[in-house]
Amino acid sequence: MSDTTYAATEEGSATAVDIARNPAQRALPLHRELSRVWANDKGLWGQITAVSHTTLGLRFMATAFVFFAIGGILSMLIRAQLATHDGAFLDTEIYNQIFTMHGSIMMFLFAIPMLEGLAIWLLPKLLGTRDMAFPRLTSLGYWCYLFGGLIMLTALLFGVAPRDGWFMYTPLSSAAHSPGINADVWLLGVTFVEISAIAAAVEITVTILRQRAPGMKLTQMPLFAWYMLGTSAMMLVGFPPLIAGSILLELERAFDWPFFDIARGGDPLLWQHLFWLFGHPEVYIIFLPAAGAMSMIIPVMCRTKILGYGAIVAAVLGLVFLSFGLWVHHMFTVGIPHMALAFFSAASVLVAVPTAVQVFAWIGTMWKGQPQLHLPMYHILGFFLTFVMGGLTGVMLAIVPFNWQAHDTAFVTAHLHYVLIGGFVFPMMAAVTYWMPLITGRSRIKGLGETAFWVIVIGFHGTFFIMHLTGLLGMPRRIDVYPDNPEWIWLNLTSSVFSFVLTIGFAMFALDLLLQITLGKREKRDPWAAPTLDWAMPMPSPNYNYASLPTLRHLDRPARDVIMPLARGEGALPGAPRGRRELLVTRAIGAEPDHVAILPGNTALPLVLAASICAFVLLMLASLYLVAAFALIPVAAFIWLWGRGMSPVGDLSPVEIAPGTILPVHHRAKQSLGQSGLVALLVADGTLFGSLIFGLAFLSVVTQGPAAGIAGAENFATLVGIGIIAALLVIAAWAARGMTRMAAMIGVAVNLAAILVLIWLKWTQMDDPTGHARDALRAVVAGYVALHIIVATGLAAFVANQHARGEIDQVTRGAHPAWRAWQGFTAATALLAMVILLAQAFA
Amino acid sequence: MRWLALTLAGPMIWAAAFTLVYGMHGVLCAGVAGPEGLSLTARLVLIASWALGLAAFVPLFMALREGDALTDRLPRYGTWIGLVATIYTLFPTAIATSC
Repeated sequence: MSDTTYAATEEGSATAVDIARNPAQRALPLHRELSRVWANDKGLWGQITAVSHTTLGLRFMATAFVFFAIGGILSMLIRAQLATHDGAFLDTEIYNQIFTMHGSIMMFLFAIPMLEGLAIWLLPKLLGTRDMAFPRLTSLGYWCYLFGGLIMLTALLFGVAPRDGWFMYTPLSSAAHSPGINADVWLLGVTFVEISAIAAAVEITVTILRQRAPGMKLTQMPLFAWYMLGTSAMMLVGFPPLIAGSILLELERAFDWPFFDIARGGDPLLWQHLFWLFGHPEVYIIFLPAAGAMSMIIPVMCRTKILGYGAIVAAVLGLVFLSFGLWVHHMFTVGIPHMALAFFSAASVLVAVPTAVQVFAWIGTMWKGQPQLHLPMYHILGFFLTFVMGGLTGVMLAIVPFNWQAHDTAFVTAHLHYVLIGGFVFPMMAAVTYWMPLITGRSRIKGLGETAFWVIVIGFHGTFFIMHLTGLLGMPRRIDVYPDNPEWIWLNLTSSVFSFVLTIGFAMFALDLLLQITLGKREKRDPWAAPTLDWAMPMPSPNYNYASLPTLRHLDRPARDVIMPLARGEGALPGAPRGRRELLVTRAIGAEPDHVAILPGNTALPLVLAASICAFVLLMLASLYLVAAFALIPVAAFIWLWGRGMSPVGDLSPVEIAPGTILPVHHRAKQSLGQSGLVALLVADGTLFGSLIFGLAFLSVVTQGPAAGIAGAENFATLVGIGIIAALLVIAAWAARGMTRMAAMIGVAVNLAAILVLIWLKWTQMDDPTGHARDALRAVVAGYVALHIIVATGLAAFVANQHARGEIDQVTRGAHPAWRAWQGFTAATALLAMVILLAQAFA
Repeated sequence: MRWLALTLAGPMIWAAAFTLVYGMHGVLCAGVAGPEGLSLTARLVLIASWALGLAAFVPLFMALREGDALTDRLPRYGTWIGLVATIYTLFPTAIATSC
């Protein structure tokens, strides 16, 4: 390629979206060439090293389904215990562990990973690309999820599982009231699993914004992508408060830092705020992908187009924002100000409006179309029946006086199961049955699936509709024995009987899938005659999805019309002629072609990195904190190796994706996927920082505990120390703007100096963090800043190393943009933290 | 990016207005113990804060483009979502709340 072409791209001129057609080739050789490059390695090793979104998406879903089965078995134990009023089936300790693990497994080990798996498997196929943006990150997320889940399950087997309820309220979960490692298992295990959620959120965001087929504008992309964009944005903002809360509670339990101890200026309500800042958006994080799947399936089942595409996108937008204004409705009974009751009650009612917009759009779609009662449609009808009832009881609970009556009763248990099973499990069953032909390449054996549906519907409503009544009659949730009250006894027994019916239904559903996988006949391509790209590929779908990538001319056409042109290589970037995994990166809004990304191949590095993080978590669980600190050394080493794997080596010449369209590879692109991913990560990181500052403000303004002692910030030495750190970080941010080895070396030196000054401040000037909650939070904020400076030092050292290897020049920028962005973020948050801490000290 | 900013601006104003009114409520109620109502001045300040949030929608509506394409409609939808949420959720907060 000529320099002229490259320079034009570097300056940001948009490449036309209407890409010329590549000459047709024979499909079979193309398929073999792509398979050589994109296939997993063979055998067990191939499973360990796989980074393909197809493999990992299915593995996420299969693992989530196993956890669903385990969570379901636990619920059977709960119902067996509650079948009679004085059940002796479980003792109180084991019962507490079981209901805590049931909730925790269903929320953190089933629902979230299931939606991640569906998104990871489906999104590249829908958007017309070959993989997610960061395949190794997908793999790392999976291993973190699996290891974290296994830690929690192992704890259950050994009788040391969490027992304080899935929302872990303090002071019940504090060390004084919950001795042992039970609560630590939850705090560390769930946080470990959340690495997977943040990783998924980052790559889903980047994949949707940067990897759509050329010409697929944001306003034209399939609705599932809109829903997932909203979901991933919510995950980036919603999960950090829980991570922050978990860190604080673990610090309190491990080191006696009193964030939630009233006697030392803490407040248990801080935990509730941080938890529900995550917990309520979590409901919508679970619901939105399910709604996205339905928005794809309903039009196909009804042989029409979706009604009100724009209204649905607006509803998603409304839900994403409004769902962050509801969290206090879980706290109506804790004695919060009247003003908060008014606002959060109003917002809780208002959020029903965008939800209703979607429901009416789906009903309208069915009304104008010709619904066909295939199995996915059964589950969609199950959704309507169940979710609408759950939504209405949600509106009831939004009304404060009713909430005060029903709070913490079985009514709430019934409501949340109607919302979660109605709003997530039924749509997921619809999604699985809809996409199973693409997953397996096989057709279903008719009959069993329909029977399973009816058994599930009868079992579910028999169990949970009755639970509304049990709650309205005053029965609290989470009790293992209850008074000999005739009004409660028959209701509980009935719920228990139907819950076993429900379990039989789910077992039949699983059997139906198993039969399809093993005995189903070979299915024809595009069996639903769908209009979307996910069906425009071989069945079962190969790792690379498309032999050539869809372009503008392949969009908005039935899948059956574009299968062959894409298989013959007439789209963009046909085959794998350079023997590496390549995909096309486009621009965020208009989807103009931008550059070609070269993806990593199969590797065991994600597993090794996840295992090293797991070792750190286990050492923390064993209270070997000093050893755990040393366990971070291999973690850092593997992250370094990870970065080396992204170094700009090999053939960096531009690629002709179609006649006349030549694009640079990502090492020389202006805005690479990695940079977009870092921006998404920094959004989550900034939210974590904001959560800590919120905690500081909450403890300073709202909490009625004893006053904090002198902060120590007003003495001269402290002011000088803070001033020096600020100056050093500004210098480091300035150095990060330079593209030389010297600048990177200065960055290393200056960051190291800042760390040393921070350590000096910590040991000589800051107050004992065990004395008062505000001192403890100040120490956490200082630790947050220190951690970011350490990472910035590592990034600067990495860039210096790339300079020394001759891998970086003015065009090929290596890890330099990442260091620059991180260094700027570190400086900004550190300066903000210093201003807040100083203001607090002098207030 | 301007399009994206316009689309998200309405709900962002709602979030900012909530923060402002909530913060003002905290300041105005500082030192007031018990369930008594706000003073008239404090109530007016609270209403003024709410009105400021509503006023922020005026330039936003002026910046919106006309047209029937979805790219034109989405920013309008976002703006209306923000405005309705600001009116509906902050009305009881500003008008009827006590300390």
